[in-house]
Amino acid sequence: MSVHSALEELAKYRVQNRRASQEVFEKGTSVLQKNGHSKMGDEVWDFLEQLALAAIDVGRLDVADQCLRRLSDKFPQSPRVDCLAGIRLEASEPPETALKYYSELLEADPTNVAVWKRRISVLRRMGQTEEAISELSQYLDTFYTDIEGWLELADIYARCNQYDYSLQALSHTLLLAPQNPVYVLQSAETAYTAGDLPLSLKMFLMVVDMTDGDETEFLAESTPLGITVRAWYGVKLCARRMSENPRVVTASASDASPPKHLGLLDELATERLRVAYSSAGQKGDIAQGRGIVFSWVASP
Amino acid sequence: MSVDAPASLYLDPQIRDWVLFPITLVMILVGVLRHYIVVLLQSPPKKLSRAGVREQRALLRSQILRATSSKSPIPPAHYKALSRHLSDAFKLGAYLKDGPPNGDAVSSATNALTDPATMDGMMAGMKTQLVMMVPQMIIMGWINFFFQGFVLIKLPFPLTFGFKSMLQRSIDAPDMDVRWVSSLSWYFLNLFGLNGLYRLFLGGDNSADSSRDMTMSPFASAGAAQLGQPQDFTKLFKAERDNLELSEGQYAWAGEELDVKVLRKYGKLLPRLD
Repeated sequence: MSVHSALEELAKYRVQNRRASQEVFEKGTSVLQKNGHSKMGDEVWDFLEQLALAAIDVGRLDVADQCLRRLSDKFPQSPRVDCLAGIRLEASEPPETALKYYSELLEADPTNVAVWKRRISVLRRMGQTEEAISELSQYLDTFYTDIEGWLELADIYARCNQYDYSLQALSHTLLLAPQNPVYVLQSAETAYTAGDLPLSLKMFLMVVDMTDGDETEFLAESTPLGITVRAWYGVKLCARRMSENPRVVTASASDASPPKHLGLLDELATERLRVAYSSAGQKGDIAQGRGIVFSWVASP
Repeated sequence: MSVDAPASLYLDPQIRDWVLFPITLVMILVGVLRHYIVVLLQSPPKKLSRAGVREQRALLRSQILRATSSKSPIPPAHYKALSRHLSDAFKLGAYLKDGPPNGDAVSSATNALTDPATMDGMMAGMKTQLVMMVPQMIIMGWINFFFQGFVLIKLPFPLTFGFKSMLQRSIDAPDMDVRWVSSLSWYFLNLFGLNGLYRLFLGGDNSADSSRDMTMSPFASAGAAQLGQPQDFTKLFKAERDNLELSEGQYAWAGEELDVKVLRKYGKLLPRLD
């Protein structure tokens, strides 16, 4: 692959924020070998950072060290390069060393977002969950708009089976990105796991409402696709659980009102799922797992 | 000589070569120079501590909460809990940079003259003002000295007689059409007109724009600096509490009636007839 096309691909990865470490590493090293980086002008630093990260990911710390040396020669006191050096430390040294390094950097500049986040991730990796949670909460209290941070907090709580707290963290993501159905789906599933079924049902319906397309006249005949199918599964699950156990209908931790027309919702979800698995591209092809899905939705 | 015969003067082309273009050229160059000087003079923005950043962004939290309040993605219990938590925090001043005020502590940061951060801000503002003013005075003096006493251009638009005294300052010809103007007025035209050119070269936020100095007096810079740095967060938080209360009244959950709505959408329930 020529240097020019490799550089284009790499620039595309940077813009899309794709990790693709193996590909980046291969393309990047080929560019380095052919000495293509000398003609890149100011983009070469972004490229070196990208290559360094990919090299650490792939395990080739020697290449990463080369890139890091070039970057630190050019930008001596840069916080960005310091963060990269910290990541390099994390790769080969015990986590306590990296933690100490990050703490020093944070003392010098307490508002360095990248380093703070790295520190939190190291704490999580070391298993110091409580410390990680408290640092992350402090971080999010200061930098409220970091959606990634809220998602991470929700993830940590969910791993510890504290689904209520996870739901609270997710509600901040919902506020920050109200148009994103993926976060609503995640909240709905977390609510389901937490046992708050009315809330979960309503949120699954929110996802359906957001993603089922614009042609309202043909909705009843349209095929649900992608995330909508998952939401219909959620609706079916909730409806089933609620009809089996009437107590959960009113026992909502978030005081969500009980749903009306539960039977009709159950029917609708069943129908939608059957439709989703009835068509699969080519005419005559049967969607994978259709039989299983049909029997599952049909069972009481 | 009747006044309504259009006087058509023939101007020496050397006037165009040696006055018109040089004035414009000099003004463009001085403008660009000013822009770069201001850029060099600007000191890097002061770093804020963690508590300072937190204080600055605290209002953002409640604004984000309120932004979607009429069609909120979060259920009522969560919304109310967040709203109340923020409201209490604002009341107690939990987000203030120096921590919640205790008892009789007077808000000290609002006095602009004693707060060092705002002093720096004001000084920077004064410096830029000075840089703006000096070249203008110099150019005006230069034009008045060298390019005085003759007509430079004819304005393409008519003007009333009132402008005669300003635009034909050095020329004592009471019958001459006001459209024939001296070089000082060309200077003023350039002053306001070159802004567009600067925007092309230097981008939107350039410091070469002199027309802004005309509208903004030196006292405005002191006022702007006052508003900039020592924003009285206590007052802002108090106002935000009222906003939160208002939004709580407007709150509605997006998912509230969705069970009925989705059923209607898919034709399982008959649509409402009202």
